[in-house]
Amino acid sequence: MWRDPGVSADSFYEIRPECTDVPVTRFKIKAGKTLSARKWHAAFTPEGYLDIGKTLSRIYRGGVHPSIKGEVWEFLLGCYDPKSTFEERYQIRQRRRMQYATWKEECRQLFPLVGSGRFVTAPVITEDGQPIQDPLVLKETSPAKGLAVHPQHNNSPSSMDAANNLEKVTDKAVVQWMLTLHQIGLDVVRTDRTLVFYEKQENLSKLWDILAVYAWIDKDVGYGQGMCDICSPMIILLDDEADAFWCFERLMRRLRGNFRCTESSVGVAAQLSNLASVTQVIDPKLHKHLEHLGGGDYLFAFRMLMVLFRREFSFCDSLYLWEMMWALEYDPELFLMYEMPLSASEKAEGSKGKTKSIRQCGKYEREIVKSGAKNAEAPLPMSIFLVASVLKDKSAKLLQEARGLDDVVKILNDTTGNIDAKKACSGAMKLHKKYLKKVFSATLPHFPYLSRKSKLHDS
Amino acid sequence: MAAPPARARADYDYLIKLLLIGDSGVGKSCLLLRFSDGSFTTSFITTIGIDFKIRTIELDGKRIKLQIWDTAGQERFRTITTAYYRGAMGILLVYDVTDEASFNNIRNWIRNIEQHASDNVNKILVGNKADMDESKRAVPTSKGQALADEYGIKFFETSAKTNLNVEEVFFSIARDIKQRLADTDSKAEPSTIKINQDQSGGAGQAAQKSACCG
Repeated sequence: MWRDPGVSADSFYEIRPECTDVPVTRFKIKAGKTLSARKWHAAFTPEGYLDIGKTLSRIYRGGVHPSIKGEVWEFLLGCYDPKSTFEERYQIRQRRRMQYATWKEECRQLFPLVGSGRFVTAPVITEDGQPIQDPLVLKETSPAKGLAVHPQHNNSPSSMDAANNLEKVTDKAVVQWMLTLHQIGLDVVRTDRTLVFYEKQENLSKLWDILAVYAWIDKDVGYGQGMCDICSPMIILLDDEADAFWCFERLMRRLRGNFRCTESSVGVAAQLSNLASVTQVIDPKLHKHLEHLGGGDYLFAFRMLMVLFRREFSFCDSLYLWEMMWALEYDPELFLMYEMPLSASEKAEGSKGKTKSIRQCGKYEREIVKSGAKNAEAPLPMSIFLVASVLKDKSAKLLQEARGLDDVVKILNDTTGNIDAKKACSGAMKLHKKYLKKVFSATLPHFPYLSRKSKLHDS
Repeated sequence: MAAPPARARADYDYLIKLLLIGDSGVGKSCLLLRFSDGSFTTSFITTIGIDFKIRTIELDGKRIKLQIWDTAGQERFRTITTAYYRGAMGILLVYDVTDEASFNNIRNWIRNIEQHASDNVNKILVGNKADMDESKRAVPTSKGQALADEYGIKFFETSAKTNLNVEEVFFSIARDIKQRLADTDSKAEPSTIKINQDQSGGAGQAAQKSACCG
């Protein structure tokens, strides 16, 4: 039978020619498999209602064509309700762009480099609110450095002068925010640097602006290393900065818990312990071995969860993995859930899933709804099962060769560029099914996560 | 269940675990890449959580396997990175000579070590990016030296970019640790190095093994 060998998608995300050691991309655009612009547009009624169920299986089968990735992602991430018209979405988009502009202006008032096309990589403030007149900061903000950008606000006093004449800041929230600005800058210049896209200074400062604004509006999370990796694709896929911001903001709804830290804990620890519970159920031998090596905290999987496999795949393949994952996880109520205030939506997690159309759900989400897991507690994200499937894949090697945690890290590091996104996804789906079956069957193993979950389920 | 056997492949005489710490962006990963792979890249990348690299060196006819752990610099991930302090036999404290704040923070990093690392851990102070133009320098060499003297530790200025002193730093700390391990070994009591993360295949065993054989 004739099979389309596919077209490489790398040309859409051009790599700097001098970068030779980047992982190869496996993803190929395949006719009849990859969601094309034509198929995508055909899924809309003339008013704009989208039959998203139709497109989800195709995304899972062959990914999304690079030319429409941005707009498809907006739906997958819950920026828009498929059950809305073009006009309604246009209104929302305009409203959101204005909202973003307002927030950005707030930030600019606090620190004039926001929106100026430049950014900082050295601290601008001390912990007690004293502005730092660090020579490095001055250089970064000085136009003499020759950055090929122009301040957008020509009518305001020069952003350089304003940045250099900061008074002592007393508002704690503002200090907290300003303390993150150089960290964002430091990471922006280290994000996806193999891509030609980020040779442009204006794209770097876009990334900095979006992350700075996000840190301002989500003060619990602020900025954590790794958020740069998560935000970067949005800027590449969506031309409008505000649109890119909102797509990132929606994705952070799923991931922000990982980045939320206290003095003594990092948010992702919760997911790591979920991963431990899952591995204990589906591969007890491996779990025991890892525990024996002192890896019971699963910290070796930290990076995979924090940046959703960005480091294990080529740029292009990580986008493919993400969209497959979101298509599988798709919940038609995402939009409504996200439109609620943050605190309300977190509470609402557990109570939903009764009336929604199964046909409009992703396959992973369907399994959750069917199993009744949704009523128990916030269900486990698919990323956990993706990591579990990578571990399972390496199980024999880990059991045989890993004599220390260093070996575990090495074996997992060696997967870089060698994992097939599609296979990892189908592996994750299988493990998820197996896991639900075991967990929700009558006999319940005795460990905290499951018993807690089962209690909630029973009540 | 039986414990997995201690490292059977004796491709080294000593295994030394090192840890790189310091503020974000001072060049920890670049130093490591230069030392382990002999390369320098301008496509910098942030370290998420922890990572490590290996290089085996020879010192006085002994093969020393260096297992060097690299950490994320951002303050909020300290709970993750300090988990790796306990297993380290040597810690490289890195700052950027063009970034005064990163130098001032060295005191905080040392406090961290005191809290979380073994008492006898070897330390070394490293001022990286020494190739940068003098006009960009914010921390004079004398200041770095003075801080190192205050703590009684060695000090190097390095450049991962031009490969200045990179070998010297790693060799210097490796030599001191090897000496310490040899000294401890020669006493009746074998050194007990608590290794939190790597209990079965840890450096303690390697060091003890060599004590028995040599």
